[in-house]
Amino acid sequence: MTPHRFGEFEIAVGFDVDQAILVVRGDVDVLTAPTFGAMLGVLVDEGHPNVVVDVGALGFMDAAGLGVIANMSVRLAESNRVLTMRAVSRQTKRILDITGLNELVRLEEPFNVPALGAEQRSDDNSWAVVSKPADLVSDLARVGSQPNHNLIDAALRLVTVLAGATVEGADGVSVTLERHGRHSTVASTNDTVLLMDDHQYETGEGPCLAAAAEGHWFHSESLADEGRWPAFVPRALEEGIASILSTPLMAAERPLGALNIYSNTERAFGPRQQELAALFASQASGILSDAGADAVDEQLGRRILDGLIAREIIARAEGMVMARDHVTAEHAAATLHRSARTAGVAVVEHAADIVASAPSAVGAGS
Amino acid sequence: MPQTIDVLERARREVGLSFADLWMRYFTLGGMSTALEVEAILYGALIANAHDRDVIAVALNERFAELGGDHPVPYAGDDVDDEPDD
Repeated sequence: MTPHRFGEFEIAVGFDVDQAILVVRGDVDVLTAPTFGAMLGVLVDEGHPNVVVDVGALGFMDAAGLGVIANMSVRLAESNRVLTMRAVSRQTKRILDITGLNELVRLEEPFNVPALGAEQRSDDNSWAVVSKPADLVSDLARVGSQPNHNLIDAALRLVTVLAGATVEGADGVSVTLERHGRHSTVASTNDTVLLMDDHQYETGEGPCLAAAAEGHWFHSESLADEGRWPAFVPRALEEGIASILSTPLMAAERPLGALNIYSNTERAFGPRQQELAALFASQASGILSDAGADAVDEQLGRRILDGLIAREIIARAEGMVMARDHVTAEHAAATLHRSARTAGVAVVEHAADIVASAPSAVGAGS
Repeated sequence: MPQTIDVLERARREVGLSFADLWMRYFTLGGMSTALEVEAILYGALIANAHDRDVIAVALNERFAELGGDHPVPYAGDDVDDEPDD
């Protein structure tokens, strides 16, 4: 298929025996993506077993449009459905492959569908043409069911990749989530931004934490001139970060994290970039809202699992100290605590070293 | 009931750990008391043995260490006659 540039954006909805088909013509970009998302959302929420997006007449689809595809794929997956994309051009397929979206959607070979010319439309009454039904956006009711966490993670990663590719000046993007007072990075485009997030969690300050806590965006145009976050900022400057834009992720009007965009350039984020950041943040928020309370439980589950594993390691090390020193469990624990402190490491790290070593090589307590 | 805030509770507030986070760290270190019991200990409503207090102290001190500090919370075995000033 050769992509055609129509200039005009148009969407048609048609229904086959067991298919709901959305045909897109023209460019899906930051302006038209909300309409595309609203229309697709209606088909998804109406519960059609097979939702097909026909992109044979697509001009191009930018990151905002791909974000819609990702979001809808996740919503469909909640009811064990898969989004089908029909008549995907080689160019579009390449973008789907690069972004990992190809794992979320099913690609279908070109198929004979009514073309979107005006004549065909009037000939075929089963096709209704809708252009920019902006009101639909606010009418969409979200139906949450059982989310698939792997898909949610994949979708959030995708949002960061898309934001990184779309926001000019962005050198890295991450998504921070807050659960039970603890922050963690659930998706990031590179190690530097992961490090940046970690520095904020460690120092307990920074734009990402501020956005996640206060629910509005925090923008540092120039870290060199930044007066806030005195513990974090020097670490960021050391890594060559010059400006940061953190946009909160909201669910039910409550902040639950932030989308963080980092740049090596000062004043990289103008009004256009801020608008894009808000768009991607709202997509990430949508993905998380659909995940609902289950994601919280998942996060808590992971923490409990981490805690149990650490506890087991420490218990084993204590057992080894007990056998070595012929002391009670409490005495062994105290020995372990002291020797960890002497070594300048956390008890669990010290315990892991002890367990990893041969029993005869148990480190001497202080 | 103590008139002053327990040194452990003062440290918890200083490092900004929630009771749930502190308990998770305490539990990881092998602590055997429930989250509610730990909260009661910090509020002075429950008297813990020296070992239990030390495990809570380790949990708090590890948080201080993560933030780049030393281990300011005293242990039962330490020869400290007063609460440290921070």
